[in-house]
Amino acid sequence: MTAATRPGPARRTGIPPRLLGLLGLAGFAVLIEILPRIGVLPARYFPTTTAIFGALVDYAGDGRFWTALGQTLRTWVIGLAIAVLAGVAVGVVIGAVPVLRALTASTIEFLRPIPSVALIPLVVVLVGSGMSGTLVLVVYASFWQVLVQVLHGVADVDPVARDTAQAYHLGFRYRVRYVVWPTALPYAVTGIRLATAVALILTITGELTIGTPGLGKLMDTAYNSGLEAVPSVYAIVVVTGLIGVLANNATRAAERYVLAWHPAVRAELPA
Amino acid sequence: MNRRFAAPIAALLLASLSLTACGDDEPSSSAPAGQNDQVKAGVIAIVDVAPIYLGKQQGIFAKHKIDLTLETAQGGSAIVPNVVSGQWQFGFSNVVSLLLAQSRNVPIKVVANGNNSTGDTKNDFGGIVVKDPAITSPKQLEGKKVATNALKNIVDTSVKDIVKKDGGDPSKVNFTELAFPDMSPQLEAGNVDAIFVVEPFLSQAKAKGWKIIGTYADVDPNLCVALYFTSKELIGKNPDLVKRFTDAMTESLTYADSHPDDVRAVLGTYTQITEAVRKGLTLPKFPSAINKDAVNKLADLSVTYGLMPSKPDVGALLP
Repeated sequence: MTAATRPGPARRTGIPPRLLGLLGLAGFAVLIEILPRIGVLPARYFPTTTAIFGALVDYAGDGRFWTALGQTLRTWVIGLAIAVLAGVAVGVVIGAVPVLRALTASTIEFLRPIPSVALIPLVVVLVGSGMSGTLVLVVYASFWQVLVQVLHGVADVDPVARDTAQAYHLGFRYRVRYVVWPTALPYAVTGIRLATAVALILTITGELTIGTPGLGKLMDTAYNSGLEAVPSVYAIVVVTGLIGVLANNATRAAERYVLAWHPAVRAELPA
Repeated sequence: MNRRFAAPIAALLLASLSLTACGDDEPSSSAPAGQNDQVKAGVIAIVDVAPIYLGKQQGIFAKHKIDLTLETAQGGSAIVPNVVSGQWQFGFSNVVSLLLAQSRNVPIKVVANGNNSTGDTKNDFGGIVVKDPAITSPKQLEGKKVATNALKNIVDTSVKDIVKKDGGDPSKVNFTELAFPDMSPQLEAGNVDAIFVVEPFLSQAKAKGWKIIGTYADVDPNLCVALYFTSKELIGKNPDLVKRFTDAMTESLTYADSHPDDVRAVLGTYTQITEAVRKGLTLPKFPSAINKDAVNKLADLSVTYGLMPSKPDVGALLP
């Protein structure tokens, strides 16, 4: 997803891709430092990198920040776990039973495109604005990512393998385990990676708009605390970005581990 | 293969479980005899609600056997449903939003005062700010674009009243909706001609050399801006708790009104307003009594400016 993972340009320059990625980031930081200073961006509303970093350092010594970080991670991980378990379970069952699949296809295609954000007013009234409110949004948004991928995966099962399993009278449990699952796994893993990002987005959105405690809410209080607190708003943006990068790296690493046997992953390994 | 996959899933589950385990326990509204009641109150993290934070900090709520948890929302629109549904026991909202709720028969009732204008038309916590030096009086806002945080609510109604009192035609003022933090940048960029901001944005606008041409105090010297409320259900179910909350709130308001330095200090605990700004901003008044005349005045203005078809039953809304 990032330039750093593409081996192409690195081979030409001889610089390790990881270093190139860091260089790019450093360049971006320098740009953000300079632009407000020379007046291209209004410094009052667009603080310099050093000001943002200063706000980050202030946060590091502020208990409220760490509490909020913990709250955000908690909502995110719980929401993701529920969505992944439900998505995989429902996906395997629906995908393996053709009648169920035909029965639910139109409903899934109707429910899936509904933006989670559109459910906010409903969620506030029905569930309230505590963690459970944001959890509903997170689970709703990320569940479909997993479900649809798993459904595709299950549909992709090699007919020869399926027929063989049938010929040997393998039970549902064994068919799922030895035929369906190996085919669906790479799809499911992709779904989980997508869901990880979506769940983080919805966690912050929920905190920001309905006031569930967490980084998003901390950002909202900074936003409402006058112009002097503007760097603090950006500091939270930076933190959420870092969480996103770490999560993406973690899911990619997990992907490589889980799918070590898969040709697509084997080919990606550096020579 | 499934074993390979089982490990990350199990890790995810474990992580979520351990995170849940260290989570906060949900307070319930009714406590066993002899113990403090667990109470959640919904507020907006702004200067106006400093007394309730101060009251909690000073142990005033604990004295009245209330363990208070403060929940923050972006506005009254999120607080009212949470209070009506019983998720939160009490809430904070501006007077016009409460009047609108009353006119729609939302089952709520006011339990305590919130905050009032300072009475000083030159130095209040909310007012109209202009950048253009040619605009010197509110009636000149005719044909101008004025930013309000919400349409058909307390801010634009106040601006209309201020314009009318100055001899202008309020129907000729063009309102546009902007969040308070976004107003100064928009005024600076020239996208709007005037803004109505509250603290801490008002003192920051003043510091830029922009002029204040009208304030809440112009609407009424003792304008009641916001109030604390509860659901009618809780009044029926637990009138004793409601009474204790009212007593604690009244005491907190009195304390806040006479300890401005404590108010400025407590602001630092729930907002991120910097210390320098906290020292300089204009605090609202925190009278413990509700100014019923001012609430009636806002109800009349709301009808005049078409927020509601007829005057709501103010007596039924107020305690």
